[in-house]
Amino acid sequence: MAETRVEVAEGPALVLAGYDDEPLTSLAAYRAAGGYDQLEQARAQDPQAVIQELIESNLRGRGGAFFPTGRKASFIPTPDKIAKPIYITVNADESEPGTFKDREIMLKVPHRLLEGCLIAAHAIQSKQVYIYIRGEYSREYEVLQAALDEARNAGLVGGVDIVIHRGAGAYICGEETALLESLEGKRGQPRSKPPFPAISGVYAAPTLINNVESITTIPPILAVGPAEFAQIGSPPDSTGTRLFCLSGNVERPGVYEAPHGITVRHLIDDIGGGVPGGHTLKAVMMGGSSFPVMTPDDLDTPLDADSLGKKGYFIGSGVVTVIDERSCIVQFALRVAQFYMHESCGKCTPCRVGTRWLVQLMRAVEDGTASERDLDLTLDVCDRIIGKCLCVLGDSAAMPVASCVTKFRDEFRAHLEHGGCPFGGDSQLAGLFAPVDQHAHSAVPQEALV
Amino acid sequence: MSTPELVRVQIDEREVHVPKGTGLIETALAAGVEIPVFCYEPRLGEPVGACRMCLVEVEGMPKLQAGCTLTAQDGMNVKTARTSQQAAEGQNATLEFILVNHPLDCPVCDKGGECPLQDLTFRYGPGNTRMSFEKLTFEKPIPISPTISLDRERCILCYRCTRFSESVSEDLQLIAANRGSASVITTFEDLPYKGAFTGNVTELCPVGALLPTQYRFEGRPWEIVDVPTVCGLCPVGCNVNATVREGKVKRILSRNHPEIDEGWICDKGRFAYTHLRAGDRLAQPLQRQRRHGLEEVSWEQALDEAERLLREARGRVVTVLSGSETVEQAYALGKLLRVGLDSHQAMLPEEVSGALDAYRLPLSAIREADVVVVLGDVPVVERAPVVDLWIRSARRNGAKIVDNTNDPAVAEAERVVLVWSGPGGRGGATVAKLAEKLGLAEREGCGAFHLQETPNGRGVADAWAACCDEEAEVADSIGLLVVSGDEAAADENVRALAEQAEATIVLSMFGGLAAGWADLILPGTGYLERDGTFVNLEGRLQRLRRTVEPPCPDELEWISQLAARFGVDVAPYAAGVFAEVSERVYGGISFGEVGERAPLRGYPDAQEHVAREPLPEPQQKPKRGEIRLVAYKPLFSGAAVERVTELQFQRPQAELELSAEDARRRKIATGDLVTVGSNGSAITLPARVNRRLRAGIARIALEHADGLAGVVEVAKADEVVSA
Amino acid sequence: MTSFYDEVQELRARYPEGTRSAILPALRLAQEKHGWLSRRALEETAEALELTPAYCYSVASFYDMLHVEPIGQHTIEVCTNVCCGLVNAQAVLDAFEQELGVGPGETTDDGEITLRAVECLGGCSTPTIVAVDHRYRQSVTPEDVPSIVADVRGG
Repeated sequence: MAETRVEVAEGPALVLAGYDDEPLTSLAAYRAAGGYDQLEQARAQDPQAVIQELIESNLRGRGGAFFPTGRKASFIPTPDKIAKPIYITVNADESEPGTFKDREIMLKVPHRLLEGCLIAAHAIQSKQVYIYIRGEYSREYEVLQAALDEARNAGLVGGVDIVIHRGAGAYICGEETALLESLEGKRGQPRSKPPFPAISGVYAAPTLINNVESITTIPPILAVGPAEFAQIGSPPDSTGTRLFCLSGNVERPGVYEAPHGITVRHLIDDIGGGVPGGHTLKAVMMGGSSFPVMTPDDLDTPLDADSLGKKGYFIGSGVVTVIDERSCIVQFALRVAQFYMHESCGKCTPCRVGTRWLVQLMRAVEDGTASERDLDLTLDVCDRIIGKCLCVLGDSAAMPVASCVTKFRDEFRAHLEHGGCPFGGDSQLAGLFAPVDQHAHSAVPQEALV
Repeated sequence: MSTPELVRVQIDEREVHVPKGTGLIETALAAGVEIPVFCYEPRLGEPVGACRMCLVEVEGMPKLQAGCTLTAQDGMNVKTARTSQQAAEGQNATLEFILVNHPLDCPVCDKGGECPLQDLTFRYGPGNTRMSFEKLTFEKPIPISPTISLDRERCILCYRCTRFSESVSEDLQLIAANRGSASVITTFEDLPYKGAFTGNVTELCPVGALLPTQYRFEGRPWEIVDVPTVCGLCPVGCNVNATVREGKVKRILSRNHPEIDEGWICDKGRFAYTHLRAGDRLAQPLQRQRRHGLEEVSWEQALDEAERLLREARGRVVTVLSGSETVEQAYALGKLLRVGLDSHQAMLPEEVSGALDAYRLPLSAIREADVVVVLGDVPVVERAPVVDLWIRSARRNGAKIVDNTNDPAVAEAERVVLVWSGPGGRGGATVAKLAEKLGLAEREGCGAFHLQETPNGRGVADAWAACCDEEAEVADSIGLLVVSGDEAAADENVRALAEQAEATIVLSMFGGLAAGWADLILPGTGYLERDGTFVNLEGRLQRLRRTVEPPCPDELEWISQLAARFGVDVAPYAAGVFAEVSERVYGGISFGEVGERAPLRGYPDAQEHVAREPLPEPQQKPKRGEIRLVAYKPLFSGAAVERVTELQFQRPQAELELSAEDARRRKIATGDLVTVGSNGSAITLPARVNRRLRAGIARIALEHADGLAGVVEVAKADEVVSA
Repeated sequence: MTSFYDEVQELRARYPEGTRSAILPALRLAQEKHGWLSRRALEETAEALELTPAYCYSVASFYDMLHVEPIGQHTIEVCTNVCCGLVNAQAVLDAFEQELGVGPGETTDDGEITLRAVECLGGCSTPTIVAVDHRYRQSVTPEDVPSIVADVRGG
């Protein structure tokens, strides 16, 4: 089937409220579903009051960092305290493997995103919003721009300038400070923090940065009331509903809105229809490719930050990708390592060098030329990356690879003993060609690649 | 000014008190603790925390922190590799990662022995490698210019060089391309890294990736001596170290005077030293013999001839000075000619004035200014390159840079600095008058600079004036013209003067310049071969040191001998001559007291200067629709630069710079051929539109101007032909 | 018809004065105009932005969608990341390679089509995603490949 499955799996419908197979792309349709009512109400309130409501809801960032949105907004200085303009940047650079929810938000409920932006703008008294959308999302850009034009023509923006700024293909630009650098017209390399964007963000001015889903959740929060929202899901920390991204070897992949706290198993089996074709679940890419993989014995973990955290997992961007027994885990680790090598910005030493070294190590394991010592070396290299880099991309490369080597050590060993992949080319991920092997930049001779 | 708040910081087992906000690297240094760094360099702007070499443990923070990005806070407790296993591991890891792809080039790398990577690896790094795969390899070395070589395999991507290009020289030519482990440092396509400051990246680079081509394989650190001296090629007087091996200057490095150059030097000062060994460098005097032309003679013969010529021309000797003589040379020559031969007339290529003494500031004060007024139409970078860096630094620091004193920002500002960058300027009198009108005297952080054309014009003028108290009488004919220095020897006006003179003696380093018209040529020394003093455009007296022996005697030696023949006592060595000058001009300080990093002293005892007709001040405001041609002496010009092969690519193109408005009015675009003419003579050359140039001004490098000056007609070349 | 220079000034006007934010949209525009970011394209862009070609190259070469090497008139980009990879990404890529006669990263001899493998395009529940001239085709199978190529070739 060609269209993405986008459903409210379990209520209440908040982010996807009013969406019922009919996209709420038109202003009229959105309004009919109660759209822009919250904006009107919010504008009647004191900006501080709106921030308070966000804090009360305990909405956490849906992009992966899970930082309290209200608290972040409270860090922004008020205009009387600072001479510079106040900015909002919306992170629509969704590029984490396994994530596709922000895309669906922009295609299906773009006006809700815009309403969220305008409420946030009122709350922190900002007059300028930049929506940084990944370059690959062309249709999404068009839909969003059309919605924006509609909203503007209807006089809804209230003096706030919203600019949709298209990226040009770089995963790292989803990292908040790298996004700011890219927006400023530079290479998308992250900055050291402090200073934090709330004080010195884009153009060295106070900036609020939020993920698309986070912003889009704001109108629904105000609609049901922050206290109510805070009761949904797994209070006190993982409140409300969120959009989970189910994919991989599963019967019904798609975007599902559900409260925090449903278990991984519930999502995969009950909502997702389970692993098809009589196959068995081998691993779950949990939260995105940037985190430790989940083994089958942990499937009953509730999908909330706390429960996952206790087991060493991350909720990330709500990704649950099912991998069944037909896939070689070494190939998975290799492909993930190749992704980070390709996407590393190159600014800091451990990530720039370490991501390439991990690819070389994983390739050697897959080819059967590695030794047991190389497995320990891999873990040590991961250890030497984690916590030492300028941003979390390094950790994002090291954590999944280290988790594979640790949790599937036997499978890695089997490669060494076998002198190659025991799947013999039959694995689903066999021979998967990674973009990192096709760089065509003139200054880099072939030897520079792995 | 209030005392800054001090905070207490614990570094390892030591406690230290530093002003709040001090960078952690400096805080550790204050406690005597090293935190190793690569990418950290305060002169490049805010710390970036890229290399991860400076990882330290900070109490209260779960992860290791990049120390360079932190500032001292009260109660901070920091553990470096010395006392923290975690930090030591982290730093070891950084070095291991750096070395994973670093080639084993030490035996053939010029950086070896003065290499931070080597040093830090010994101190904090692993003793062996665990990397068994293929390293990243590149074609190497690549010349990114005739003067700089790039080795991408050695590069550790600390981004110091690209940050310099972006945030210091602001030329945006040296950049990083690609992403991740495929990142490389490069220029655009095959274009060389061209500009006044490119060589600084070779000093910034902490490994042997960016190295000066001139120094390739020239010496190891234990075979060389770095001699501290001062650059004598422009009036900034950057402090430098001359790297000397076996009696030859092999390299020039910055010596960092925080008030003058902050550790930067321009490419002329850095790379032009090979002029000392130019093919036409003179070692022996040349005397014109009838029907034989110039022939080598001994010094004995040369001095005899000089004596003869001087005696014949008593009272009618005219001296042309280049302004690149040391104070001592000028004084000695002056004493010989004024006291010994009653010839007081001397000419400098520019006016010199003491009017600015009331508005003296160190160059570093430019950075702290609120407003910098840059007056005049000669680009600052061509006259006094490092001053251009200070002005850019001021702009980045929040200063407004304006081009006229009537700008409202000037009246509102507390710290105002004026910079006059030719043409004209009455030796500083003009800008001093402006400073006076603005009431800048006695105001903190306020002052004025006049960018001279000569490196030591002020020093030379003071010395000439100080050596004798008698008045100068203008002779009605030139019995003997003494031309001092290559700049003067190359000057067409001086050559014209020589034709009027009955005889000419030229003091120069290179034979070619005066071969056609001098009667006696005495070989001269370069600034790297002299002991002596210079006065820079700040009015700062600085000490030059002889770094290598010249191929000929020092000027003071033979001037002293010659002076003796006329009963004048001149010491044959710099300290001795300086003692005399100092009495009169510099408050009596001794030669040794001038200092390695000289402070900016005033010198209230300076007398009035070389009395001369003031040059007519060039008209400042061109009339509407008119274009005034400014022919300026480019940075990369002159006898020294002409003899350095590697610097020829830096020579200015033959082109006419036009303002956007003037170009538009004449329908001229960049690249179009234009004709520039005045008083019957004209030249044709390509135009280049400069949006920053003000209307009514056109600029051209002096060597391409073919004598054109003043108000000119400019038109598209084909139009003129058809008319 | 507005010139490239003027169009870039319009882009610049969207952002605060003195900032470089217009560089990404300007480079995209230049790439559309020139086909790829050639020397000339970068020089024009630099001129319009008051920056240097080197700086423009530095930014362009950082991003995957900006091409500093010649590229075909059309691009066919196949996601080969994990989620599509688990289902059929390599088979789809192989099918394109077969149909076009070029490997990933290469351009057909007639300069028409460049085939590329790309990272996650954000369509993970409908593998394999193929971006044809940056428009997504979802749930692509190897069997769909010939018609997709015919589509592209047909214009």
